[in-house]
Amino acid sequence: MKVFKNLYDYRELLKSSIKKDIGGKYKNSVLGVLWSFLYPLLQIAVYAIVFPLIMKSNMEHYTVFVCTGLIPWNFFSTAISRSSFTMIENGNIIKKVYFPREILPISVVTSEAVNFVISTIIILCFVLGSGMGFSAEVLFYPIVLLVQYVLLIGISFFVSSITVYFRDLQHFIGIALQLLFYATPIVYAANLIPESYQWILKLNPMTYIIDGFRAIFYYQQQPNFVELGLTLLLGIVLCVLGYLLFSKLQKKFAEEL
Amino acid sequence: MENNYSIEVQDVYKTFNVYLDKANSLKEKLLFWKRNRKEVREVLKGINLNIKKGEAVALIGVNGSGKSTLLKLMTKIIYPNKGKIITHGKLTSLLELGAGFHEDFSGRENIYFNASIFGLTKKEIDDRLEQIIEFSELGQFIDNPVRTYSSGMFMRLAFAVAINVDADILLVDEILSVGDQHFQEKCINKMKELKSEGKTMVFVTHNLESARELCDRTVWLHQGVIRMDGDTNQVIDEYLKETR
Repeated sequence: MKVFKNLYDYRELLKSSIKKDIGGKYKNSVLGVLWSFLYPLLQIAVYAIVFPLIMKSNMEHYTVFVCTGLIPWNFFSTAISRSSFTMIENGNIIKKVYFPREILPISVVTSEAVNFVISTIIILCFVLGSGMGFSAEVLFYPIVLLVQYVLLIGISFFVSSITVYFRDLQHFIGIALQLLFYATPIVYAANLIPESYQWILKLNPMTYIIDGFRAIFYYQQQPNFVELGLTLLLGIVLCVLGYLLFSKLQKKFAEEL
Repeated sequence: MENNYSIEVQDVYKTFNVYLDKANSLKEKLLFWKRNRKEVREVLKGINLNIKKGEAVALIGVNGSGKSTLLKLMTKIIYPNKGKIITHGKLTSLLELGAGFHEDFSGRENIYFNASIFGLTKKEIDDRLEQIIEFSELGQFIDNPVRTYSSGMFMRLAFAVAINVDADILLVDEILSVGDQHFQEKCINKMKELKSEGKTMVFVTHNLESARELCDRTVWLHQGVIRMDGDTNQVIDEYLKETR
């Protein structure tokens, strides 16, 4: 429970750190915040052009299908890779001032969550543009987001604290995320995968989250609450274990950085 | 349990692993496993120290005696290998100038960021903002990015924040040496004022004169153990005899 008290006591730091994370990302680029729209748009364009060509798939509204997967995925992957850098990035402060260290990964994930909510405009535009319209199921959006957020907080505790001791993890994470990208039904539909490999998708928690977002925006039906519930449970377990590991490892951060 | 102590240091040991040539990545760890030679350096060897509420204590000693390490342990930036450190009350530290300042942000923004690191809420910072700016004497420069500041201005801002956050315990590591005579005097006066308000202060310092002026008690560290602990003038006199 100490963790919640700490976060409450240091809420101003958490707030300004989130603000800094959102604002600082594009500080030195010409197009600035525009990139947070442009980048996913270009990505969607790439898949929307390349995939139907190669796969000869003629899925209906494929762009909507891709963007409902790709944008939550970007949230997932940038949150993880940025958490793996955050301790090293903030090494200077960690070495000189005391503050609850867990603020750093939490602020990375939270700022990415804010970015994600903003990028959801892209999904909305594509859904509107395709003429599919919205159904009331869109209202389940916050629930799916919450599940993904909890899962990411859990993972970020692990990666942010372990990289301090083991810098290679950053590179492993890069490769692992690429692998996971293809092990998640983002650019393809899950039923294209042969039965013998379906277990990979089933073991991957991101499958359920993307299924959730896709259900409400693309298929316009209720998300699978059992799957989301299990994913949330996994997220909570990861949060608890991650936090225990984090508080053990953080004691030597200032010496290792 | 409530007691009169602000800081309790109980039988604290601290060792550092000094890597002579550190293998940081897996490749280096595998290929040059011999390279990972390290020396274990014992910095503090069994420190016991109780500091009462409202005391101003100076930590003195030659370089490498473990003063700064002890101060860092008190702030919880690092943790002891053995023993325990308990602090009662809100704690602020000034270990290095402008730790956690962001170069591109203005002085004003940095006040908010820095004070929030010390655990203040927005409202508490708002209430203190004028006071902090006034103390720093930065005037109109407060809205310039801090990378344009001189080291004196930097230090004034950092000090103004740390001293105005209303902490119960203030830990300061040798920083007063920056800044001109006028500002140094101002700082010392402000610290005297804080002392009379019953705040606890611990300084690491080589400036024995300011130690005499501010502190009633001085702890002399030598090679990781407490060599002497007592009245400032007595300890400093002994220390000077030894080191001269």
